[in-house]
Amino acid sequence: MSTALDRQIRPIYDALDTQSNKSAVLACNKVLKKQPNNVLVKALKALALVRLQKVEESLLLADEVLAKKPTDDGVLTAMMHVLRGLGRHSDIVAMFETAYKQHPQNEDLGTQTFFANVRVGNWKAAQQVATKMHKQFQDDRYLYWSIFSAVLQANDMATPEALRPVLLKLALRLISSGNTPSYFNPDRFYVHLLILRELEMYDDAATLLNHEIGQKICETSLVCDEIRRDIMKLKGACKQEGEQAKVKILEKKDRNWLEFLSLLDATFWDIASTSEPASEDVKAAVTEEIAKTRKVFSEAATVDGLKDRSGLLALLELEKRTKSHGLWTDACEIRMMAENYFSQFGDKACCYEDLLPYLAFEGEELEQWTSFLNSRKSFDTPDTLQRSINVYKLLRYNLTSAELTPELELARAQEYIKVYLDGLKFGVNLPDTELQPADDFAILVGHAYVSLWKLTGEESHLQSAAATLEYASARSKQSYRIRLLLIRIYHLLDHYRLMNVKQVQTDTLSHLILSRAAMWSLAPLGDITYMSECMEASQIYMSNSTETAEFIARAFSTERYSQIIDFIEFEDRLDNSLQRDLMKVEHVRMRVAHEPLNAELVDMELIELKFIFDRIHHDNRDFEVIPNYQPRCQPSFNEQTLPLKPPGAGWLSAYLKVYIRAFQEASDLDETVEDKLLIGDRPKPSNDPENQLPLRERLVKKRQEEIDDLSEDEKLFYEYTLALSEWVGPYHDYVRPPPSALLAEAAKSNDLKPGHPLKSMAAAANGSATNGHSKKDEEPPAVKESPELIPKFFDDMKSRFDAVISGTALPSELLHIVATTQEAYLLFALETVRFKPNSIIKQYKFGQLAQSFKDLRVKASSILNEMSTVLAKLGEEVATPDGRKAFVQASSSIQDSSGFDHDFVLGVAKKTTDARKQTYEGIAKGLAKVVKNHS
Amino acid sequence: MFKFNNINLDIWTETYGISFYLTYLSRWPDLCCVQEAPNGHMMGYVIGKAEGHGQDWHGHVTALTVAPEYRRLSLARKMMSLLEMVSDETYKGFFVDLYVRCTNSVAISMYEGLGYSVYRRVREYYGSLGLGRASKDEEDAFDMRKPLSRDPHRRSVRANGREFVVSAHDVS
Repeated sequence: MSTALDRQIRPIYDALDTQSNKSAVLACNKVLKKQPNNVLVKALKALALVRLQKVEESLLLADEVLAKKPTDDGVLTAMMHVLRGLGRHSDIVAMFETAYKQHPQNEDLGTQTFFANVRVGNWKAAQQVATKMHKQFQDDRYLYWSIFSAVLQANDMATPEALRPVLLKLALRLISSGNTPSYFNPDRFYVHLLILRELEMYDDAATLLNHEIGQKICETSLVCDEIRRDIMKLKGACKQEGEQAKVKILEKKDRNWLEFLSLLDATFWDIASTSEPASEDVKAAVTEEIAKTRKVFSEAATVDGLKDRSGLLALLELEKRTKSHGLWTDACEIRMMAENYFSQFGDKACCYEDLLPYLAFEGEELEQWTSFLNSRKSFDTPDTLQRSINVYKLLRYNLTSAELTPELELARAQEYIKVYLDGLKFGVNLPDTELQPADDFAILVGHAYVSLWKLTGEESHLQSAAATLEYASARSKQSYRIRLLLIRIYHLLDHYRLMNVKQVQTDTLSHLILSRAAMWSLAPLGDITYMSECMEASQIYMSNSTETAEFIARAFSTERYSQIIDFIEFEDRLDNSLQRDLMKVEHVRMRVAHEPLNAELVDMELIELKFIFDRIHHDNRDFEVIPNYQPRCQPSFNEQTLPLKPPGAGWLSAYLKVYIRAFQEASDLDETVEDKLLIGDRPKPSNDPENQLPLRERLVKKRQEEIDDLSEDEKLFYEYTLALSEWVGPYHDYVRPPPSALLAEAAKSNDLKPGHPLKSMAAAANGSATNGHSKKDEEPPAVKESPELIPKFFDDMKSRFDAVISGTALPSELLHIVATTQEAYLLFALETVRFKPNSIIKQYKFGQLAQSFKDLRVKASSILNEMSTVLAKLGEEVATPDGRKAFVQASSSIQDSSGFDHDFVLGVAKKTTDARKQTYEGIAKGLAKVVKNHS
Repeated sequence: MFKFNNINLDIWTETYGISFYLTYLSRWPDLCCVQEAPNGHMMGYVIGKAEGHGQDWHGHVTALTVAPEYRRLSLARKMMSLLEMVSDETYKGFFVDLYVRCTNSVAISMYEGLGYSVYRRVREYYGSLGLGRASKDEEDAFDMRKPLSRDPHRRSVRANGREFVVSAHDVS
């Protein structure tokens, strides 16, 4: 580059670097005036434009640059960012491939082409590029790139079953062709082992592993050691592994739990490895093994004392397995072991979770265990306090349903409160960044009150739980566990509280707040912050799709093959996260409620929802983080405090169908048009045979899995939407303008972007004429009466509403009914908006249809208005001094036990009732507004 | 990462973006380690890297954390010794260093127990915890170091490190 040009281009880069995209465009224009054909400047301008969201202009420039087949590094880099911004990943690959073809001796271009394929997961092409590079540059690194690409292709869901072994055998052959053996570095060795494992060539793998260098690698590399364990297990060499583990535990003092598991597996191998009932001889032999293993574990436990808990835990596991294999000798063994463990580690917080799998005691054993625990309560020091916390938790775990009467639970709650308040003295001097040692007692109080609420159905217990937990939260400000419980309880009562979660946590935790969030926000005057909350929580998915692929490429360049498979899985799990798309649907539901129902909303969301529809979802939601100390005969705290069953894949599928169908009918886009207008790549088609059916057929198919996920009200709603779209569908199909007309319109309004999106317009006009023009010659479909189900739905919801109002339902249940009714109304509006103009009614003789619509709308409106009035009245009633008094009285049980003064409870009461008032009033007003907007 | 909520919801533990974790995993996977309980819950993890030039080549502890319910079991001690072992044997570093908030007294005394000493105090290294008190101590970090076998004369540490203050710009 000449220095003069360099001087001109520098400011463009500077502007881009500082995100001053507007000045970058200006700077580009200045250069382009003098040198209209400068490809680099064009590419940079396209980049600035795409960052400014000027997609159309950027597209035009990008196509011009691509047509020049650039090979210059600067141009290629700029274009990579442009195309990424436009979502045209396959064009990035094509661009680098073209460049590399022109300069096959350029190693850097080869690498870039390889990475471009890696980023989009195009393993077959990646493998070919790497092979070519290996031939050209003779570097083993490229050989391993090609080997691992073949492995990844074999792993890919889209690869046919029969092709997989072929690819793996190819990879194996390539390994032996390398200049250096695979144990040159641990990651290459890992690749070699992986291939042998997939091909089930365990003996060959064992030979490698038993080699001196193989052993050495496994000692320092955790990933290689992990795959070694796996192979040995598959090979059936359990006993050999057990022997090694024994040595490691005793001599090297290795306390890796996996070693203990190896030894356990080996001990029971003769019984566990066959499905046939074991002979007496075998039983005797195994019993002997058990005795030996018990000695090993006991020795480890004695040596470690308080330093490590593995030995004692392994003993417990040993007894448990002995029992499950029917080799029981002494009935009290497990209990003795548990008592032993408790005596040593009872003052550690992990004690409860460690012991849980072993405590399903009955009868006499249970009695003894209970009295053992009861004798261990004491509250003298912080250590004994922790011990007592464990005692209370463990006792609670084994409560039988006979012991779970309201009276006994209430007594327990009061005892927990008492010990909690006593325990606070140990944390008086702690800085406020520390957790209070007594926190878990407050958590137990919360559990007891929730259980009381479940037993009696009285809301007052939830209020007591909230008041206690608020008190505890104020004393232990950093306790996220207390906050989690509060979020759940408030959700039942009416409002929500925020948690500060970031990054990946949004995928696993946002369900706490956002599942069925539309229910809370459906009213336009309700909580609009929910919408921004959805957007914020979705950020992680954007950064996943740009960043993770990049790191897969980077892991190739540093040859960390062992990480790549994990990265790919991570990317896939985030990309196809159930929570991601649940949130998407919630966002759509909120948009429909808050925004005008115009073509922009309908068309855009239609396309996006259709993309989601084919995904196979992963559920990454973390429900385990919510503490659970409920007795084993009760559902967990999480299950008890869910207002409705958490939405799963079935729920998502049902709601996707509902909205895709409604949008499809309301939209003018049909599939041929959509194809032409779409910028960027489509998602990879999935291989599920279910998905091969035409979309229309799949949309009307109800599946049991969906029904199971819906609440009763949602089931009614689902039926309603099916009936509605079946009824209105034919009229939509008739009135919808033909694709050719639409494309012509789009071309006219978009003179700026010739070429790319509309290139095959002529073909479209011919190809899809069947469902376009020809139809207009037919008679309009005869107008049918509305199906009975539609008015009935509104009546049903009304009576559900009345029943709940007169009963003692929680606010969340009431809101669910209101929200579902409103959603039905909105969908009705969405499905009928096309038929509103008088011209349409006249042109197609739809007078009678319009009348049916009107009748239904009036009916639904009046029901919704009525609900709105009732809610507004409830809102007024709740936040009065009387309402607060009721709350305070309801929680009298926690005041009795001292400590909580009247004012504190009154404060919580005020907060709760005010929040409820706000929710009710907001939603009441919102309802009225929705009705007005769409009437 | 889908399972670390029980650890990362704690106030002392920072949650980073995807690229942070993937950078470490793609470059120093052997300096990253997770400890799981037998029931599959995550108990704690350590993330580290190797960096520096010449005499300054060392292992660095980027994050070390244990979930509240698995504390007081010497888990941190074990993870630190793993990281020291790998820094020493695989990466041949001279020392291991780490940063810690000056207010995190529990952690500081643990590191001292493990043989670390304060090398210097770094001003305004951390963001505020938003607790609004003693903010100086809160945002400042101690740089703590422990020499490894390649530094038998303990050149990488000094005795009066607490008084040795540098600003955050001067450290990487």
